[in-house]
Amino acid sequence: MTPQPEEPPPILGTWRRLYTAVGVYLVALITLFYFFGRTYTK
Amino acid sequence: MRPLDWVVLIGSLLFIVLYGLWRGRGSDTVSKYLLAGKTMPWYAMGLSIMATQASAITFISTTGQSYVDGMRFIQFYFGLPLAMIIISATAAPIFHRAKVYTAYEYLEQRFDAKTRALVSVIFLIQRGLAVGVALYAPAIVLTVILGWPDTVSTMLMGSLVVLYTTIGGIKAVTWTDFQQMLIMMLGLFAALFMAVWMLPADIGFTDALKIAGAAGRINPVVLHFDWQDRYNIWSGLIGGMFLALAYFGCDQSQVQRYLTGRSIAQSRLSLLFNAVAKIPMQFFILLTGAIVFVFYTFEPPPMVFHHQELKKIQALGPEYDSVAARYDQAFAARRDAARGLLSGEAPARYQAANLEMEAARKAGARLVERANGAPGFNDTNYIFLTFVTRYLPAGVVGLIMAAIFAAAMSTISAEVNSLATVSVIDIYKRHWRAGASDRHYLMASRAATVFWGMYAVVTAQYGKNLGSLIEAVNMLGSLFYGGLLGVFVLAFYFPRVGGTAAFLAVLCGEAAIFSARFLTKIPFLWYNVIGCVVVVAAGVGLSRARRQG
Repeated sequence: MTPQPEEPPPILGTWRRLYTAVGVYLVALITLFYFFGRTYTK
Repeated sequence: MRPLDWVVLIGSLLFIVLYGLWRGRGSDTVSKYLLAGKTMPWYAMGLSIMATQASAITFISTTGQSYVDGMRFIQFYFGLPLAMIIISATAAPIFHRAKVYTAYEYLEQRFDAKTRALVSVIFLIQRGLAVGVALYAPAIVLTVILGWPDTVSTMLMGSLVVLYTTIGGIKAVTWTDFQQMLIMMLGLFAALFMAVWMLPADIGFTDALKIAGAAGRINPVVLHFDWQDRYNIWSGLIGGMFLALAYFGCDQSQVQRYLTGRSIAQSRLSLLFNAVAKIPMQFFILLTGAIVFVFYTFEPPPMVFHHQELKKIQALGPEYDSVAARYDQAFAARRDAARGLLSGEAPARYQAANLEMEAARKAGARLVERANGAPGFNDTNYIFLTFVTRYLPAGVVGLIMAAIFAAAMSTISAEVNSLATVSVIDIYKRHWRAGASDRHYLMASRAATVFWGMYAVVTAQYGKNLGSLIEAVNMLGSLFYGGLLGVFVLAFYFPRVGGTAAFLAVLCGEAAIFSARFLTKIPFLWYNVIGCVVVVAAGVGLSRARRQG
């Protein structure tokens, strides 16, 4: 029996790309928080 | 609470229950009752996962935490998106393809019956301890703030949850979670908006951030590593990831949410939705706490936010008067220094004034400790609700109270539902009464739901006699998660490890965690890492030894 093909995500075409996008989002969020903290912490 | 607040609170609770009953209709088979017939869309599962994790005490105390310690608590969630990616790629498809009702059922397919039984019992102990606290913890805060007996809050929340969870099963739980999450978001943004709105007319949002920042409250990223420090980027990314892996990948109260998905893709999307939405949500909760801190820079805060304890120390007379005079003086000095800061002064004067204010507040806390004859007084959980009930307008208070009830109910319903599922599927059906009809197991699931709901209400009544129960249960939870995570890592990634090695490895992992707890000062966030690593190492080692022997 052949395994059923994996259902793709609704955006970005493949799950691998979607996971990478979430990883990039996390890095961007932490960077944003870092500069937010630096801006207002004296 | 004013009449309009009662209307909003009662209306919201009624809506949640009736909506849950309506959405849960037709749950007439075990599959529909426990897994919603695998029909759930990703957005309902995603919000349900978020709602389950956001308990009332998180909602109440996170704002207080930010008031006292700043926004660095957000780092606790930095590992969550990484965990969600790993679970989406591994656990979610494996559980779906295994066609299981519980995560522990899969362990029998992969290992053996004894490993499944051991892990199921660990889950029942851990969640069974937590469910009473999830009910009791918000009740004690509501008791102090609203003046209700705690039994009223626990009975009210408990009976509403049991009603819709017993009748509608997981469909009712998921769809009420969906509504509860929307109410929580509405409450959160109303609180943040009102906190900014209530600032003095000449203090803008940016000014508020400057004041909070100078007091060390805008500190969402701490790069410095320290074993003893619970919240820095490293403990958040590594410890937080392991904790999230254990919670979302091995805890039935979460696994059951995404097992209801109509496909693997829907389950994955629900997890990735959390990966994206959770940190911003926590950010806004913490920001609300920081803004409340600024609000209390210009409006005198009570020296002690727990007003019953405050009354107690006010009766002390001169001893209280001298601490109160110091506190009032410190408040005035800090307020003036904050205005100086905004007009271009260096932050040193404001920071010194803030330190003196904190020292005066600590002196008040010491008075409470002396009056009670017990150390460790902490009023963090009362800060946000004191602000809400004293300053916010009618209607908004009711909405925020509804959000807190919603947060509590969403957590309790998921816990009761998952406890019932494991009790019936992993224990009753597997070891007690196999081969009965679907209708029999449906009735057993309903009976187990009522049992665990009543158990939660009863244990919540005993909560007040057990002192720092929340801390004890959090600690107990962290004592078991590492072991659970380790056995699932063995199951997914080490195909040569067999049942007996996995079973013994869990026991080794638990021994390591208990040693870390009682023989070292390592913070609890690291127990998950230690437990998981020891279980995997022991499992692989024992398996290899058996093969060579």
